[in-house]
This record gives sequence, structure tokens and C-alpha cells, in this order.
Amino acid sequence: MENMLLVGLSRKMTLERQLDVVANNVANINTTGFKADRSLFEEYLRSPAHEDNFVHADRRVSFVHDRATFHDFSAGPSEQTKNPLDVAIDGNAFLVVQTAAGERYTRDGGLQINNQGQLVTASGDPVLGTSGPIVFQPTDKEINIAADGNITVLEGTGRTDSVRGKLRLVSFADPQTLVKEGGNLYSAGQGIAAQPDTTSRVRQGFIEKSNVNSVHEMSRMIEITRTYTQISAMLQQQHDLHRTAVEKLADVPA
Amino acid sequence: MRALYTAATGMAAQELNVQVISNNIANMRTTGYKKQRAAFQDLIYDHVRRVGAQASDQGTILPVGVDIGGGVKTVGTPRLMSQGTLSPTGNDLDVAIRGEGFFKIQMPDGTYAYTRDGSFMMDAQGRVVTAQGNPVQPTITIPQNSSQITINAQGQLTVILPGSTTPTLVGQIGLTRFINKAGLNPIGDNLFTDTPASGTPQDGIANTDGFGDMQQANLEQANVEVVTEISDLIAAQRAYEMNAKVVSAADQMLQSTSNMFR
Repeated sequence: MENMLLVGLSRKMTLERQLDVVANNVANINTTGFKADRSLFEEYLRSPAHEDNFVHADRRVSFVHDRATFHDFSAGPSEQTKNPLDVAIDGNAFLVVQTAAGERYTRDGGLQINNQGQLVTASGDPVLGTSGPIVFQPTDKEINIAADGNITVLEGTGRTDSVRGKLRLVSFADPQTLVKEGGNLYSAGQGIAAQPDTTSRVRQGFIEKSNVNSVHEMSRMIEITRTYTQISAMLQQQHDLHRTAVEKLADVPA
Repeated sequence: MRALYTAATGMAAQELNVQVISNNIANMRTTGYKKQRAAFQDLIYDHVRRVGAQASDQGTILPVGVDIGGGVKTVGTPRLMSQGTLSPTGNDLDVAIRGEGFFKIQMPDGTYAYTRDGSFMMDAQGRVVTAQGNPVQPTITIPQNSSQITINAQGQLTVILPGSTTPTLVGQIGLTRFINKAGLNPIGDNLFTDTPASGTPQDGIANTDGFGDMQQANLEQANVEVVTEISDLIAAQRAYEMNAKVVSAADQMLQSTSNMFR
């Protein structure tokens, strides 16, 4: 195999991965609380694809591979829904969700109430307050969620607020260590603890839209496609060069 | 080329989004209609390199991983149960609920359904029924030749009987509430049925215990806001187009590979 072919191949593979990431961003352009991903690449030095046990080491060839996908945690636009159970978070905090696999974190504040009166996410997992799940009574009305996450209701014919709990808001020293789990959920890496967040604010009646920027993604996509086709063309030229060389050299005059 | 399939999930999601939006717009003038929205979530990720994995023999740890997502899924179409605006109709048997609660309707098979549409009528026997002829609960029969039907905030229905000058109470329209209204199951005809997600129905009286009050000669309009729906529709359409663009980009890349060596 030719080194050039292999180097080109390594680049093409990373470009395909890059398009996969762009495709996932574009697919989630309407997903509440979604954060876009970016691909990062690094040079990867290897010996050429043939014997290199000479006295003097051979010059090394640089390949490329993807080093990481970086989460872009910038805030998405807020949309007013006027739904009392929708919350958007101003700041870096996450809501804490109780799933079968343990604690998970989300920015998706499109919340619901289940048949037991618990505050849950769209997929039905309880959203945790500072002292466990938040439960409403059947006669509760006028749910009010304050900026600090305090949840109060008017119970029955009561004229005064009854407290139902306080949303637990957490943040992380390095949010890049969070792993996307799907279902708008993140899990914290091993040994990484969620810190209570006191600076973020909750806004009731709003949801945070996806922070995917369509113009960015489209231009990135064009760039990926063009680069990919260029490499294909380059490899083809290299292939033609070889073929011509073989034909010419083998053309022994009679 | 995973991107092809990822973008396909995006297109499918936006298609559903447009369906939900168009249903909202179609029901813009439906009495007591409650709008829906499509809720999306990202699909499972392929952790090609997991964050926190060991990166070398010296025990260094990957600060960021490589996660490749597989697209988007629809998690549900939650209904927004906010109050719609009341519009006066001048019709005595039109009732709107201002606040919590649903009218309870008895279906032909004896089961109950619930609605916010209070445009009632009288059938041949004088019963107060919905447009489909199903009696509102508890069943109220209005005596013949009575006049001046009045429904107060508690839902008490009074009439003036022939030969009398004082109102007579003939029945009371009840209300039913649920802990999770958004979990009700729509069955068409402006009706909902209870589900495990909505919780059990709790019957009660309007204007007491946190139930809303009744407004005679008014109807509750749909809570659809046209401006919001149209802007959502434009966004959904653009998102669909962009996902289609990704499909053609992936296709172009595959084509360039297959055309490499002629």
C-alpha cells in the first residue's frame, strides 16, 4: 500500500466522523436544551508503511485522527411557552434527574407531572429537589417556580403559598468531562462530583432551545464535503500517476 | 456513513413536528382545544473514546472523549393545558370554565369522557347534552316550557317554571380535575379520557376546593397562538431542509469515493 493512500484514508475517515457530528447537531436543531458538539483533530506520527529497521530511522509520516468531541456549552436561545412547568436555566447549572442508572444531569426543562404527582422529565424520570423528588398534591394549583428554584403552589382553596420543594441545581468544575448519554441527559465521569450551584437562575414559562447554529453547521458541512472530494481527487491523481509510470516503464521497445 | 441515518432521524422528527403544528393550526377555532408541542431528545451516543479512559501507560487520563451521536427521537407530544380566552356568545347553554376542571360527559357505552368544550344543547327529553348528544354529568333535565335558564359560577342551573316567578334549581353541572391534565388521552370530538398518566378523576364543584368557576354564555377558545405556530412552522421547515442537505452531502462524499478509481 502507498503511504499517500493511507494518509488520505486516515483523513477521509476523520472527515466522515466530522460529518457524523454535524449531522447529529443538525438533527437536534429543535431539541430542547441540546448542546452542539465540535470535533477536534490531532496529528498522529507513524513510521511509513514499510520496513523501518534501518540504522538511521526513516522519516515519519503524519496521519490524522480525531482526538475529541468538544461540547459547546454556550446558552441556547430562550423561547417563551407560558407553560408553568417549563423552566429555562440562566447560567451553567444543570437539573438533576433520577434515572434507573443513577443520577443524570440535563438542561431540558420541559417538565411534566406524573400520575403520582411527581415532577418528571418528558421521559418520566423524576427531577430531584434539594431533598429528593418533588411531589404535588391533587388539589394543588398555580405552580410557581421562583428564580432560585423554589417551588410553591396554592393548595385547594388556600390563599397562601405552600412550598413543594426547591429544584436542585448543580454545576461542574469542567463540564467537558460530562458524557452525553442521549435522552437529553449527561452523566458525570468517574470521581467527578456535582457542585451545588447558587449563581444560576431558573426562569419559569421559558424553555432553552438547542444552541446549534444552523449557519455554522451548514458552512462546516460544505467545508467537509469539499475537503473530502479534494482528497478523493488527489488520491485518484496519485493512482493515475502510478498507472502511467508502470505502463511507460513496462513499455519495452521491441 | 452514519451521517445519512442521523440526518434521516432529523427529517423524520421535523416531519412529525410539522404534523403537530398543523394540527394546532387546524384547531385554531375549536372550542376548548389545547395545543400540543413535539418534544425531542438526542439519541444514544457511540463513545468512540470515553472521557476519563487511560490515555497512556503513565496513567494520564483523556480529558475529553469522542462521542458520536446517532440523531434525534420524539419523546412525546405534551399538551399545554393553559387557559384559553373566553368569548361571549349570548347563548344560555354555553358554559366556559375559568380555571381548573373539566366537564364530565357520559358516553353512549356508559363510560365517562372529559371536555373543556361547554357548548351544550337540549335534546328531545330536555337533557343538557353535548353536540354529539351525550349528557353532561350529573344529568340535568330541563322541564318543558321553562324559561330563563341561568347557570351560576358554581354550575347550578336554575329555570323559571311556567306559572312561577321565582327561579327553581333543576341541577348542578359538576367538574372533574386531574393531577396531570397533560396525561389525558384525546379521543377526538374535543373529548379526553383518563389514563394512568393523568391520575384518577376527582369530581367536585366549581368555585370550591381550587376548581375553576363557570361562566354562562361564554365559550373557551383554543389556546393556540397563531404567531407562535407560524414561527415554529418556519423553523421546522428550515430544520427539515437542513437535514436533507446533510443527506445529500453524505451522498456526495460517498459518490466521490466510489468514483475514485475508474
